[in-house]
Amino acid sequence: MAQVELRGVTKSYDGRNTVIHGIDLDIRHGEFVVFVGPSGCGKSTLLRMIAGLEPISGGEVRIGGQVVNDLPPRSRDIAMVFQDYALYPHKSLYDNMAFGLRLRKTPEDAIREQVMNAATCSCSTSRCRTLTPQLRNEMRTEIKRLHQRLGATIIYVTHDQVEAMTLADRIAVLSAGHKMQYDTPDAIYNRPAALFVAGFTGAPPMNLVDCTVTDGAADLGGVRVPLPADLAARAAGRSPLKFGVRPENLRLASAAGDIAVPAEVSLLEPLGAETLVTLKLGSTEMVARCPASFRHPPGTAVTLHVNPMHLHLFDAASGAALH
Amino acid sequence: MAGRTMIERLRDPSEKSLGVLLLAPAFLLLLLIVVYPIATLIFNSFFDMRLSGGSGGFKFVGVENYLLVLKDPDFWNATGNTVLITLVTVPGALVVGLGLALLANLPFKRQWPVRLALLLPWALPLAFAGLIFAWFFHTEYGVVNDVVRRVWPGSEPTMWLLRPNWAFAAICLTIVWKTSSFMALILLAGLQMIPKSLYEAAEVDGASRWQQFWQITIPMLMPSIIVALIFRTITALQTFDIPYTMTKGGPGNATETLAMLIHKTTIDYLDVGYGSTLAVFMFLLSLVVTGVYLKRIGRNA
Repeated sequence: MAQVELRGVTKSYDGRNTVIHGIDLDIRHGEFVVFVGPSGCGKSTLLRMIAGLEPISGGEVRIGGQVVNDLPPRSRDIAMVFQDYALYPHKSLYDNMAFGLRLRKTPEDAIREQVMNAATCSCSTSRCRTLTPQLRNEMRTEIKRLHQRLGATIIYVTHDQVEAMTLADRIAVLSAGHKMQYDTPDAIYNRPAALFVAGFTGAPPMNLVDCTVTDGAADLGGVRVPLPADLAARAAGRSPLKFGVRPENLRLASAAGDIAVPAEVSLLEPLGAETLVTLKLGSTEMVARCPASFRHPPGTAVTLHVNPMHLHLFDAASGAALH
Repeated sequence: MAGRTMIERLRDPSEKSLGVLLLAPAFLLLLLIVVYPIATLIFNSFFDMRLSGGSGGFKFVGVENYLLVLKDPDFWNATGNTVLITLVTVPGALVVGLGLALLANLPFKRQWPVRLALLLPWALPLAFAGLIFAWFFHTEYGVVNDVVRRVWPGSEPTMWLLRPNWAFAAICLTIVWKTSSFMALILLAGLQMIPKSLYEAAEVDGASRWQQFWQITIPMLMPSIIVALIFRTITALQTFDIPYTMTKGGPGNATETLAMLIHKTTIDYLDVGYGSTLAVFMFLLSLVVTGVYLKRIGRNA
């Protein structure tokens, strides 16, 4: 069973500055976990520490229950695909694929069979040398298929949150060497545990504006948005606060239980399938995802509808979500 | 068009004549420093041009010089020595240079002492290196014999530069010391171009250091190795300074190279015609070796 456990893993290159701050992570056998975060957040370093290419400064990494801190990469029974492919340019495609097997002293006819078998099912992958957006999508599908077929534990590192959402069973969002949230894509998207996660996921990301909470409603500089009772209770006495709502949850049509918020159209960005509408709500600006048929010119007053369950509040100082 | 003067045409050249004009300086320079000397050399090789003695000869002798060269034991001796020096010192410098390059490529805290140590032998003039090593190998005062005496007390001192085989070995050793740093510099540049991720991928695949060296380093370094070999071989065929300063070709002519024989014939004996003929043979030897290498490069590219 190849479960991976990280216990308080830290990394420091010079012994003074810590770049990975005590990360705890449990990856189950056969799980597809994606490390996501902006460049420099430590996701690649963490992966390289699990692979054994980077010494671990503190904490423990276990693979299949065994502490591997001091094991060289070859003894960890892992495979790694590098960002720059790390193909051996002087070897043929066949020899590239056979290299690892040859090192494991696999008989030559068994190598032949395995390489040919792998080559037929990944013939489209081998084309993904320059990853245009289209090829990235193809690659993504291919990786997902590969995971379904092999059932191996996979850790995937990306800065692309869409890629993370589509591939992962669970996502670990990292920022500046800290684990911000580790959960399913659904939870990451709909119940972000931190301001950073809310702002990092979604395209466009969640609207996040300053607010104050008084009398069970969020004050957005003139416009008051009534909050669910429990959320308002948690927000009581706290400030400063950030108010968050995803663009697709600001709707023109109303549904049962929705609250209505007055707004004014300020900018239209038609995308074809939909139109991104920037709206003024009190002294703040928010983006709403509207149908492509939205034609109201800037300056028009509209009424927005939002399900109170889709409202988020964050402690602006600590970044923690209040839910 | 017909009415244009020369000056008008120069002021506003067509694309073709502009090309010719732009190429002309380089072409003239090449003519002056490559074609002219070689042509003169080949021209002189057909003449009896002994400047010593009263004859004052400048007589066309056809291919006589060539026939004489082919029957000249000194020529064959010098050619043999040159080829042997090449065969010993080129691979020698490659192996030592590769070792030095690998050493210099290690992640030292301070890089500059290592780089400096690599650069110094390279920056040293060849004749200087020859003189220094001539002292090292001196029978009575040399450091080499001093070390030998300390390790084996009472042993007979070796007369390094006075015995044909020892002199040859001393010269080859000096050449390897002097030239391996140049090899190392080229190979170091090549080593630094190999992506680190290849080694990491091999590490994950389970390749040992030894396997990584043979499966990644050597094949990835091949273009640099070939370039280094070409440069080194061509200079090895022209070996002159080090044997000249260490042994003057001696004892006898046991360490005389082709370049030294040409120098002796032309400058010391003032036999320009015969010296030119010898030089033509050396030119041909370089040409053949370069041709072989170039063909190899073409195949690799």
